[in-house]
Amino acid sequence: MSIGILGYGVYIPRYRINRAEYIKAWGQFAAAGVEEKAVLGFDEDSITMSVEASRNALNHAEVDASKLNAVYFASTSSPYAEKLVSSTIAMAVGASPRVSVADFTSSTMAGTSALLMGLDFVASGRGHFALITASDCPYADPGEFIEHPFGAGAAAFVVGEGAPIATIENSDSTTIEALGERFRKYEEKSIETLGIPSYTEAVIMKTVTSSVKALIDKTGRKPSDFNFVVLPQFDGRMPSTIARMNGFEETQFTPSMIVSQVGDAGAASPLIGLAKVLDEAKPGNRVLVASYGAGAGSDAVSINVNEEIMKRKGAVPSVKDYLADKKYIDYIYYLKIKKMI
Amino acid sequence: MAHVSIPSYWKTLPQRYCLIGMKCKNCGTINFPAREICISCKQKSEFEPKKLSGRGKIYSYTIIAAGSAPPEFSEQERLAGSFPVAIVELEEGLRIVAQITDYEEEDLKIEAEVESVFRKLYEEDKIIRYGLKFRPVKKRKPLP
Repeated sequence: MSIGILGYGVYIPRYRINRAEYIKAWGQFAAAGVEEKAVLGFDEDSITMSVEASRNALNHAEVDASKLNAVYFASTSSPYAEKLVSSTIAMAVGASPRVSVADFTSSTMAGTSALLMGLDFVASGRGHFALITASDCPYADPGEFIEHPFGAGAAAFVVGEGAPIATIENSDSTTIEALGERFRKYEEKSIETLGIPSYTEAVIMKTVTSSVKALIDKTGRKPSDFNFVVLPQFDGRMPSTIARMNGFEETQFTPSMIVSQVGDAGAASPLIGLAKVLDEAKPGNRVLVASYGAGAGSDAVSINVNEEIMKRKGAVPSVKDYLADKKYIDYIYYLKIKKMI
Repeated sequence: MAHVSIPSYWKTLPQRYCLIGMKCKNCGTINFPAREICISCKQKSEFEPKKLSGRGKIYSYTIIAAGSAPPEFSEQERLAGSFPVAIVELEEGLRIVAQITDYEEEDLKIEAEVESVFRKLYEEDKIIRYGLKFRPVKKRKPLP
């Protein structure tokens, strides 16, 4: 028996809007490297996405929901600013009322925060199984360019005791106080930015490079030791810039790329990227995941893939399965179902 | 459907979120939703919770078109257009009424396979009411 990731699952809504629709409406699409993005159906939100991803993860892990001791939810787009939503997810997946729940909010780093806390919960012996789900659909006013890359998606991981498909080897984190790159005031609905791209990029690079380098030093590895790296992908250009600064090759980060088809899925992006990589990974592979949250922080996590993964391949729908099932909508319908008009 | 108060909605969350039916200990019939008297043996029986699989087939359906939606679904009808409501026959044999979501016209067929999904049903007094809808089982693998 050891402790690690027992299973995972994702959910990506089936509606898509593509670059051409934005160009028709605005004359441009301010989302570098995004070809199309996933859009919530009228009856979906970050909770409903989480529930499907969580059911997939529990089935993949072959863990009965009644055995869960913790349910953690991570999002920047919880439908409620106050009211637990991990409780909704816990009930919907069939967890017992005796679970520790927590909502991790207000940062795109929340997904990796929750994953690491879930692992700590189990590793400290306070419980046997934890479900961690990150789900996000960032929102901004349609007139703002920052809105263009915002997509939607969810991922979920079951960590606990058993025969893990992957083991979280180590992590390191960095925080730097930074202002004004991406934020949403308490009373506001829309994410904002001061729109100084060079400054934003400098803060992201500094924070992420620091956490990645610290983790690599701590584990005594080289950048080339990782078969896959999952890097922040708020747009399609960012991973290659971060990779260049940290000594990673394109072949290491390309398999994790989801932003070109899903858009920016906020706190869920690093975990959907990890799921996509695990869909392809083989036993013995090493994965590095780095998240980023404005304000600013970054978690870097090193993961070893185990033999068990081969037994669970294809047990639940993969990232590719969800990407393949899609229906294109036009910009007016997009505004309508997002209640933007 | 008519107005359902939050306290009564709350009492029925297991059936609404998780498709938990009540199995009659007297005759074995699954009652969904829960009842005081078993629908089959008409006895005031003891019941035990039974989780339903969520897999089934469309037994019949109708389209709720402009103007005909109950008040709680009028926003959905206005923004997302007309929507189908089906009687779904679950693999456990019982029939329940629910919306069909994420569908194409050609998916709406009697006998078409469907699976349950957790969705927003409607919002009333700012409270989001979640529950189950069904979607067609097709290209995507069904949930195990």
